[in-house]
Amino acid sequence: MKKTVLTLLTALSLSSTASFAAYPDKDIQGIIQWGAGGSTDTVMRSIAPHVEKLLGTDIILTNKTGGVGAIATKYVYAKRADGYTLLMGAENPQMYKVLGLGKIDYSDMIPIDILARGTPIIVANSNAPYNNMEEFLDYLHNHPDQVKIGSTGKGGMTSLVLAMLKSQTKMNYISIPYNGDGPALTAIQSGAIDVMPAVLGAAIEQVKAGRMKVIGLIDNEPNKLLPNIKPVTDTLPGMKKYLPWGPFFGVFVKKGTPKVAVEKLQTAFHKAALNPDFIKLMDKRGYSILNISGKKARNFLDSYRSTSSWLAYEGGVAKISPAKFGIPKP
Amino acid sequence: MDALSYFATSWVSPELFGLTALGTFLGIYIGAIPGLSVTMAVSILISFTFSWDVNNALCLMVGVYMGGVYGGSRTAILLNIPGAPSAIATALDGYPLAQKGLAGEAIGLSTVMSVIGGFVGIIVLALAAPTVSKFAITFQPRDYMMLGILGITLVGSLSGGSLAKGIFAGALGLLVGTVGLDPMTAQERFTFGDVNLWNGINPVAVMIGMFGVGEALHQLHYMDKTVVKQKINRILPKLSDLKKYLPLSLQSSLLGVIIGALPGTGGDIAALMAYDHAKRITKNPKVPFGEGAKEGLIAPESANNAAVGGAYIPMLTLGIPGDAVTAVFIGALFIHGLNPGPLLLTEQPHMFWFTVGNLTLSNIFVLIFGLTGIKIFSKIVECPKGILIPIIFLLSIVGSYAINNSIVDIWWMLAFGILGYFMRLYRFPVGPVILGVILSSLTDQNWRRAILSERGDLGPFFAHIFTSPLSTVLFLAIVWIFFTQTPIWTKMLKPRLFRKKSST
Repeated sequence: MKKTVLTLLTALSLSSTASFAAYPDKDIQGIIQWGAGGSTDTVMRSIAPHVEKLLGTDIILTNKTGGVGAIATKYVYAKRADGYTLLMGAENPQMYKVLGLGKIDYSDMIPIDILARGTPIIVANSNAPYNNMEEFLDYLHNHPDQVKIGSTGKGGMTSLVLAMLKSQTKMNYISIPYNGDGPALTAIQSGAIDVMPAVLGAAIEQVKAGRMKVIGLIDNEPNKLLPNIKPVTDTLPGMKKYLPWGPFFGVFVKKGTPKVAVEKLQTAFHKAALNPDFIKLMDKRGYSILNISGKKARNFLDSYRSTSSWLAYEGGVAKISPAKFGIPKP
Repeated sequence: MDALSYFATSWVSPELFGLTALGTFLGIYIGAIPGLSVTMAVSILISFTFSWDVNNALCLMVGVYMGGVYGGSRTAILLNIPGAPSAIATALDGYPLAQKGLAGEAIGLSTVMSVIGGFVGIIVLALAAPTVSKFAITFQPRDYMMLGILGITLVGSLSGGSLAKGIFAGALGLLVGTVGLDPMTAQERFTFGDVNLWNGINPVAVMIGMFGVGEALHQLHYMDKTVVKQKINRILPKLSDLKKYLPLSLQSSLLGVIIGALPGTGGDIAALMAYDHAKRITKNPKVPFGEGAKEGLIAPESANNAAVGGAYIPMLTLGIPGDAVTAVFIGALFIHGLNPGPLLLTEQPHMFWFTVGNLTLSNIFVLIFGLTGIKIFSKIVECPKGILIPIIFLLSIVGSYAINNSIVDIWWMLAFGILGYFMRLYRFPVGPVILGVILSSLTDQNWRRAILSERGDLGPFFAHIFTSPLSTVLFLAIVWIFFTQTPIWTKMLKPRLFRKKSST
């Protein structure tokens, strides 16, 4: 433990005297936006060892939580653009501008690799009297202000899925916020909430065991892990314009990082994400592997940002208009 | 029979046996350093053991967990700096014992009681995991809220001399706990627009400051006082002591298992509640609480180690973490290709008994490593103050930086250190501050969830309390605690009831 702290300190102090002839010639810092044990943490800790082997250097992973990931984002942005500090994050920074959480988003960073995307689903307590989207929406219309829907805070995945649904149909319900999908998924089993949007991977084990049920799939095509669930676009065709959409995990460096470093990192992460162990892990957790960088990654990020920002703004979640930051309408 | 062979996996393989021992050893020392948390250690080990066999990795991590929870008591007793929030209650009576020259005996006693607590946790995990997890999951937001309120009433037990000063300190802690982005609405509270405050003030930074730096500054007043010579001839607790305190230890352990099994509460709250329980049921302590009562050492130490087994219950049966460390364990299992969830027990039945066996082995190592080396450790207290105080400062700074690798936490720690010093000077207890910080968000969030569920209506909120036996019990417990403080009880009812009892 002490050693890690020491190496960290030395690495930090050395970063000012780096040269790029032989990148990487020292340890790389990987700053994880979310806490230990969470989904971002799991994904990053499982890919890092493969990348270490390919780069021939250590990646020292640190969880820097807080401010929905804004603290880690700011931290990496404040560092030198030398490729020795990686931001390992999720989708959240794409919403910082409209939510007023920060001035930096992924357009100020270079995507090294967008590793994977999660599929949003809607889960319900196993005893709930509805089994699919149609029944659920019917029930909601007939019982206004009775269904308790869990959410995970402003601008999070759950609030955006709800904003999407609300743009298509009228919904009156009680919203109960939790500070993460873990506690909220527990609450669904105890009956403290009835329904909540979640990422497939986070809920799949509980679903398999029959402790909760899936009533909706927020995607435009069926998912092989959920053979009996129709995509939401069958019920609400208007949703098509938003989908496919979902939270993602990616690795970023600050804009201005030398090309040599960026390319080396991109090659290493791309190769690492093709590792069968990593693919198996992602499959099991229900994430779709993207493994994209460069222009493709940029397009993906821009499309996510415009869909989500406008959804949040029009749904009243975000107070600042995306137009103010030049974010185009989807 | 299968169960037994899985149980023994880590006992018979020399490699696994060695790794468990190593993990426990490391855990004790990581746990003893304030700020170096078990959660952090285990998550670093995930990357470190990535390419290992899953059993090897788990042995090391389980060892660190078990050892780490115990280790927090070391510095609490010797230096009055709890190594982790779960050791706060340990410091209250452990440190006075060390000041009397009984550090050796205090560590010995806390080790044995920790191990007893650990075993109670493991036994409940092994025999009643499905029942306990079913119970734990029935806790509704209002129950968590009432648990929080019960916790806040512990201020009375933690405040020592003046209750008014204790309430002041507790209220300060509750206020500090509300700083940051409101987790429900992401509204900024007391942040003054500063991003560094979004995440709130870390309770561990407050703890290290209040106890570590606050104590070190206070010690500067007594630089010329000669240090207490430690009597280290007795390390193993007396058999009569063990017999006498066993019931208390078992009660505290059961409390620890339940609180540990609840998702959202852990060893810190368990230990504080156990301390309060000890104070309530001990009618005539040999030594008053806060001045080195053994009961005050035994209860929290049994409870926080029992909470380890408790935290595993929802994790192994439902895939729901019982605390922050088991959340990291779930991530580790995923990375190693297992699917922690409600089906783990049917898909991988060996995992359950392997973990139980592992915890048992690690608990035995806690006993061994805990009881050896006490002599050297006790010498720390005999160390001249001119050397000891700078070391405490250094440890506090490193520890608070390590919480989240952030300089800001060091400033908070120092600020609370100075505040803690003045609080000590004016005889304000510092324990309630930390209690307040820990319980603030638990109570706040669950109260709001509970009342949101009733659409803001107090009527149905109270009506629903009485539809659930669990809520009813918690509610009556709170009412009882407040009622027994009123003059109606203390002046009128209690003497009458008491007389009746003594006459029969």
